[in-house]
Amino acid sequence: MKQTINIPLGSQHIALLEPVRFKFECENEKIIGVDSDVGFVHRGIERACTTKFKFDSIGYVVARVCGLCAITHSLSYTVAIEKLLGGEISKKAKYLRILLLELDRIHSHMLCLSHTCENAGFEAMFMRIMGDRELVMEIQELLTGNRVQFDYISIGGVNRDLSSTVALKIKENLYEVKQKVLGYMDEFTHNWSLSLKFKGIGALSLDDAYIFNAIGPLARASGLNIDVRNEIDYLPFNEVGFLMQTHSDGDINARNLVRLNEILNSILMCENIINGLPEGEIFTKIKGKPKGEAIVRFEAPRGELMYYVKGNGTAMLDRVRIKTPTFSSIPAFSHIFVGQDYADAPAILASFDPCLSCTAK
Amino acid sequence: MFDLKKYRKKSPWILHYNAGSCNGCDIEILACLAPKYDLERFGVINTGNPKQSDIFLVTGPVTYRSRERLVELYTQMPEPKVVIAVGSCSCTGGVFRDMVNVEDGVDRYIPVDVYVAGCATSPELIIDGVVKALEILEQKTKEMEKPLKLFREATLQNSIVNRRHTALKVGEKDEED
Repeated sequence: MKQTINIPLGSQHIALLEPVRFKFECENEKIIGVDSDVGFVHRGIERACTTKFKFDSIGYVVARVCGLCAITHSLSYTVAIEKLLGGEISKKAKYLRILLLELDRIHSHMLCLSHTCENAGFEAMFMRIMGDRELVMEIQELLTGNRVQFDYISIGGVNRDLSSTVALKIKENLYEVKQKVLGYMDEFTHNWSLSLKFKGIGALSLDDAYIFNAIGPLARASGLNIDVRNEIDYLPFNEVGFLMQTHSDGDINARNLVRLNEILNSILMCENIINGLPEGEIFTKIKGKPKGEAIVRFEAPRGELMYYVKGNGTAMLDRVRIKTPTFSSIPAFSHIFVGQDYADAPAILASFDPCLSCTAK
Repeated sequence: MFDLKKYRKKSPWILHYNAGSCNGCDIEILACLAPKYDLERFGVINTGNPKQSDIFLVTGPVTYRSRERLVELYTQMPEPKVVIAVGSCSCTGGVFRDMVNVEDGVDRYIPVDVYVAGCATSPELIIDGVVKALEILEQKTKEMEKPLKLFREATLQNSIVNRRHTALKVGEKDEED
């Protein structure tokens, strides 16, 4: 008779940055069933958006849904409100928004890569990537005034202009980051503990990615061509040199390589923006109260983020619905875990780059 | 003999728990442990085990589901222990104050020694907070070493010996000294 053992991971664990609980049902070393519990950080933000805050301040509240992709949340909400109010923002503000969005993506991907290294037991690489990530955090602080919660975007434009000295510093730092990332590419493809150990672990096939509705780097590593930046027209991503990054293997190594390639692509986009920044105002005043419905999608570092906003012509909104990337990927996560060794579970979990405070809101 | 208490200040171990924050402060704590800010030069190391930790870093307003875990982690830590509330929302509730599932700050459930403000707080402030916590840790260690006189002199009320209000608290001075 076969016997199974239930092993809990979480809610507080050294490999986890945030509370989530997985119950693994294990048979010897293999995982045969997974149960996940993601609701530990539920705060009730959606409800507070309709009862407690007025529509012009919600942009700063929804940024606190998630610290890692704060800029994407406030940007999505702001674009939705701008759609309802019917205002047109200047081209320079659009470019500055893309700049910060891509800087945020770079630092979020670097954090995920360093976490993957840590969970592989490669502490030195973790320290290296975290040290180099400070270059990006530094330019974020120069550009917006804060390291994590920027509050950079407001309805009608952005809050700070890009001065020439800051632009120069951004270019210098990004050049340095680019050299470092090219160095990581070498490590992640040739180093034993980062590439060979991860090859074939936690694989998701193209069909499964399609069936389980995987999004973001998880789907692109399996060869699925989905990226919201390619599909939307509120921000001119295609003008600044966006390229889709895909890989065909679908394992942890493929996800790491997709993230590295996306960092390189984001650096290219940032450089293009700074070189070709159009002249103009950064802020246009938009008046009125939101009335009607709007749906906005954006590509957060982890995948598609969707905002639904419904206004009734007063300062309080009727409904704000946030659909976050990690929530959509949970079926794919649970599918990948089945059949893997329990010892690989923290590394696989880190390679998903889950964001639970997004998920629970 | 090797004196453990003397060296506790030199290598405090940190336990980090996210009680419902937005990850902003958590990644700043992670940045603190990374090369640029390098909290490890104070001997600090991040452990996942409450039974080996001295300093408890809590981020986030306490949510409904994380409060039991928060209290449980606190009670599992051995004395002396210091609690640092990191971020505006763990100090007072911050932007999440009065939301449906939020309990407005850590100090409703466990005693907090150091408050670190800011949304999101910066690594410099976290380092200041931890250095402050080290002083408090040393002070608490000293107080634990003091010989404790359990009771003051008993009082006689209505010809009954009453000891109810005579117990001494930790650190409280005896009047006769």
